[in-house]
Amino acid sequence: MTFFIVVVRGLMRRPIRTGLTLLGISIGIAAVVALVGLSQGLVESWARGMKARGTDVVVSNMGSALTPKPFSAPVRDRIAHLPHVAATCAILVDLTSIETAQMMVVSGREWNGFSWENLKVVSGRMPRDAEELAVVLGQAAADMLKKKVGDRIQIETTELSVVGIVNGGAWVENSSVILSLSLLQNITDNQGKINIIDIRVTPDTSEKDVETLCEQINRLVPEARAMSASENISNSEVYRILQAMSWGTSLLAVLVGVLGVMNTMLMTVFERKQEISVLLALGWKRGRIICMVLWESALLGLFGGVAGVAIGAVGVQVLGATPAIRGLLKPYVSIELLAISVAIAVTVGLLSGLYPAWRSSRLPPSLALQG
Amino acid sequence: MYGMNKFFASTVDAASEYSFEAKNLKKEFDDGQVQALCGVDFRVGQGEFVAVVGPSGCGKTTLLQMLGALDRPSSGTLHYRGNSIADLADPAAYRSQEIGFIFQAFHLLTTFTALENVQIPMFETNRSAVERKQRAIDLLKAVGLAKRLDHFPATLSGGERQRVAIARSLANNPAVLLADEPTGNLDSENARRILELIIGLHRERQLTLVLVTHDMAVARRAARVIRMKDGRILSDRQPDLEGVA
Repeated sequence: MTFFIVVVRGLMRRPIRTGLTLLGISIGIAAVVALVGLSQGLVESWARGMKARGTDVVVSNMGSALTPKPFSAPVRDRIAHLPHVAATCAILVDLTSIETAQMMVVSGREWNGFSWENLKVVSGRMPRDAEELAVVLGQAAADMLKKKVGDRIQIETTELSVVGIVNGGAWVENSSVILSLSLLQNITDNQGKINIIDIRVTPDTSEKDVETLCEQINRLVPEARAMSASENISNSEVYRILQAMSWGTSLLAVLVGVLGVMNTMLMTVFERKQEISVLLALGWKRGRIICMVLWESALLGLFGGVAGVAIGAVGVQVLGATPAIRGLLKPYVSIELLAISVAIAVTVGLLSGLYPAWRSSRLPPSLALQG
Repeated sequence: MYGMNKFFASTVDAASEYSFEAKNLKKEFDDGQVQALCGVDFRVGQGEFVAVVGPSGCGKTTLLQMLGALDRPSSGTLHYRGNSIADLADPAAYRSQEIGFIFQAFHLLTTFTALENVQIPMFETNRSAVERKQRAIDLLKAVGLAKRLDHFPATLSGGERQRVAIARSLANNPAVLLADEPTGNLDSENARRILELIIGLHRERQLTLVLVTHDMAVARRAARVIRMKDGRILSDRQPDLEGVA
């Protein structure tokens, strides 16, 4: 028999209470995984979307809204001539409900801009020109809206034809309704307005050059902000708010888990007063008693963490499939998030066990001879 | 017997002929309002069997706590083999390596088998898991429980539980057995067998045995009987000189 078995047997004394405590901590950890997974999914989805479009630098004003604030389209002309700029593409992105979908990405792209290049036609065709009252749907968007080539789709008050289904190479692209910029500007009454400029840099551009380019753009275009594609969404205020809310809510759930583990361990110590005293009478050192209690609480954290990660990984997929989120982002649960979540659970277990362990170490061994 | 330097701050006279030597030993509780021991003096020789008898509350259990370093005296001196127990640098190591406790209520851990219960005190030794298990098997065989190794306490009779507790008390090969009413929770037949087993082990292993009991029939088996009342020793003599049954 090893000391580990002694610890595990301690947890098995009250299996129902141990199970309920595990459930409590696992729900807290599941909340961490699910909520943080969603916010990370936002970053990943948008970053992959931009990568799929071949965008190196994004000019936008993310502000605190879900979509960037519109600015004047001629801003693009101030940028196009700058060194290292190979191509630009003006975009107007909107988030809107379309028919049965609560929230869809509608992307109006400058006709002939490079942001059309990544779209591979799966069925149907691309619009003939910027004026055709037509859209192409990403594959996931077509599934969500239950549309096929030839169907009609209504955006605000305008009816358009679905002329093609496309594969954009990334979740956000595949979840989007895509049409020409001028068409979307007219439909949404945003003539002359855009809210994103995608920039593709020349092949010889270094990271340092990209930084310099962003600084130049920021001086020239005070109404928006240039960032490399990889950091664009993670620097947005909406992402920061979302992330803060995710962690805040998760940590509240974890706090409930802490109280659960602490309560269980305190009950365990109180119930086992005489048993602990007997162990002391048999020659166990106080350090070993502390070790036993801390191991028990850390194991509660570990088992709860592993269960929570599993629940969270399933839960985040369920959340991602809800109408409010589906199509907007694809939840992203990284190995790092799973590892951090389990580490949080073990730390929570250990911290929750500190006070009960201290209490157990204060028990007098003479209790062994009483009763 | 282990080197005692690690238990005691200083080694005075490890070759003392006495296991225990108490002088004017006192123990008070509640700021002196309760006096459990009122200045007792006694000696217990190495390998001796001493019974401590007296009514409830006479201080016999408190005395056992002092001997086992489970509690500290309020005043007076108590030596183990010439070394002051009050100066123990590591009381846990003293209890682990020198003392074996046998309790009236057995105090076995309910979620552990007999075999595992006997291994519990050995965690404070350098024995490997395999050595711990083998020693526990040997001890359980020695107390007649070879066929009950994997039984949990709940499935053992009272006598069997006390046998497990006795095997556990011997786990680290102690020099002293401290038994607190070891037959108090047993029927007469089991009580007789357990007493024979304890006395047999005391003789065979030359263990110092201090046995607390209120049963004079049990006490008469000892070489000496210490009678206590109200925290004081009334008499300390051979059992054949004890007049009261």
